[in-house]
Amino acid sequence: MSSSASVLALRLAGPLQSWGASSRFTRRTTETAPTKSGVIGLLAAAAGIDREDDDSLAPLTHLRFGVRIDQPGTLLRDFHTAHHGVTGKSMPLSERYYLADAVFVAAVEGDPALLSRLHTALRNPVYLPFLGRRSCPPAAPLEPHLREHTCLEDVLRDLPWQASPWYRRRHRNHPPGRLTVLREKGADEKNPADTLTDQPLSFSAAHRRHTLRTVVTDAVPVPAAAGEHIPDHDPFTALIDDPELLDGETV
Amino acid sequence: MNRIFLDVHALQTVPPSNLNRDDTGAPKTAVYGGVPRARVSSQAWKRAMRTYFADEHLLDPSELGVRTKKIVELLADRISGLDPAVQGETALRLADETIKAAGLKTEVPKRKADQAKEGQAAPPPEAKYLVFLSARQLDGLARHALAGAGDITAFLKDKKNKDKAREIADSRHSVDIALFGRMVADAADINVDAAVQVAHAISVHRTETESDYYTAVDDENTAEETGAGMIGTIDFNSATLYRYAALGVHHLATTLGQGLREDEPLTEPLRRAVEAFVHSFVASLPTGKINTFGHHTLPDAVIVKLRTTRPMSFVAAFEDPIRSDLSGGGHVREACDRLAAYVPDIEHKFADEDTTHTWVLRVGPNTQKIADLGSEAESLRDLVSAIGHAVTERLGNPA
Repeated sequence: MSSSASVLALRLAGPLQSWGASSRFTRRTTETAPTKSGVIGLLAAAAGIDREDDDSLAPLTHLRFGVRIDQPGTLLRDFHTAHHGVTGKSMPLSERYYLADAVFVAAVEGDPALLSRLHTALRNPVYLPFLGRRSCPPAAPLEPHLREHTCLEDVLRDLPWQASPWYRRRHRNHPPGRLTVLREKGADEKNPADTLTDQPLSFSAAHRRHTLRTVVTDAVPVPAAAGEHIPDHDPFTALIDDPELLDGETV
Repeated sequence: MNRIFLDVHALQTVPPSNLNRDDTGAPKTAVYGGVPRARVSSQAWKRAMRTYFADEHLLDPSELGVRTKKIVELLADRISGLDPAVQGETALRLADETIKAAGLKTEVPKRKADQAKEGQAAPPPEAKYLVFLSARQLDGLARHALAGAGDITAFLKDKKNKDKAREIADSRHSVDIALFGRMVADAADINVDAAVQVAHAISVHRTETESDYYTAVDDENTAEETGAGMIGTIDFNSATLYRYAALGVHHLATTLGQGLREDEPLTEPLRRAVEAFVHSFVASLPTGKINTFGHHTLPDAVIVKLRTTRPMSFVAAFEDPIRSDLSGGGHVREACDRLAAYVPDIEHKFADEDTTHTWVLRVGPNTQKIADLGSEAESLRDLVSAIGHAVTERLGNPA
């Protein structure tokens, strides 16, 4: 939590999102908030880091991660069938779970140079961005928001409430008092924490691996809401100061 | 690296229909903007696109892949086709060894193996899962198998030849594999990441699922036999859908470029793939219950964007659901009015307007408002060829 760190925050919104942490086989569940694995994957894809390239991925996985639930959304169960291309017979059925109508702020904290590079990459990604599953494109740009000399906790406390206008209208008379923040422990933090199998080690298709990470649950007062569509900040202030930053990435 | 993205947006009205149903038989739905919407899953539409490639002859069979477990038989046929002297058991064995050298596991299905014990012919091995191979990959593997036909086991034991088998399976990908990807669980190094992203289509307005109670009369019933021969219900809805898909053209170029010879320019296969993508996304339609509802429609409005920044969905324009008034034009007119205001606004705010080329294809006066968003195409054919041309030009002259 040193003040030399930067924080990169994203607004994750779309009709559907799906953030699986431990699902395998035919039942593909989603967590109730974006996972570190999913968000690091989104950043790595934007930067053009190949799935097999564990060395380039490693610095991203060391970023400290947190997410704020600005609009929780509803759980959607999708029943999926597949057919054999030649015989037309049914393949195993699967259930896929999505979050519909949700809005989150996800943030990563760490090395300013790395975050600056990722910030630029989000504006000009190598691979298509998606919210946990390829069929879930973000609705509108992710509005990457880069702040220097700060920490995850401060950004997730201060960034304006990102819920959609209809959601804020609906809750005008009884607004939610607080927003849930799920984040990794700070370096010297003593708070009790849960663990989740959501620390990516490798996205290699041959040996995708995750280990445990800590999850601290906080609640923050609802910050003032953002403007009708675009939050009250200029998302491009720190953008493309140095177009050469993208050099050296793998494609 | 230069990025080239193509995103396609379509507004399409479907009458009462059930294109894509869940396990209760009801059309799929999702809540968006706090109200229920009709939904058609991305998988359903991608399957419609893949089928469309072949059925409408957008692409030659040599540009398409085959997704099958019966990969050994298929390859054996190719081997026999190349060298008619190699037939039957010999061809099957060559094929099986070559497939295994490429990293794909095969086995004789248990049920069929049991049949063989009862005196029937020994069945050929199959892959344990659906394998997606391009026509060119099959041809390459067949030639490779014949090169080692003298002693296939010794031939493939040689690391150089074994690696060559895997390399063949990982180059010269078909257009459908390059667009939609390939997953092989136990040969992950020949997986292909899809260059295309298809979103779930959702209605631009609130949609409630309705239920049709039906009775059918038995024609052969006598006057004494009253009552219906059959009764039941079918769930359906009707919707104006917002459909979105995006293509990483630079990503597609990388995949399609794998294994091309020096004298084979990439521009032609890339142009054909991009054109097939746009054409099939616009014109294909999931066939769920199509004989019940006859929901054959085409989009009223199509917007295609060629970008160098990033792809962008416009679904947020419909987060506030459209409430069609009765003044005429319906959901399509209001959806077009929304897009005509939303698209320039968001592109201006995110500084994407200068790096974007836009085409519009639209039908009828209700879509008038989007005419100014880009160059208007006369027909789908014109739209597709204009995009193919533009992509080829960008590839030739990277910005």
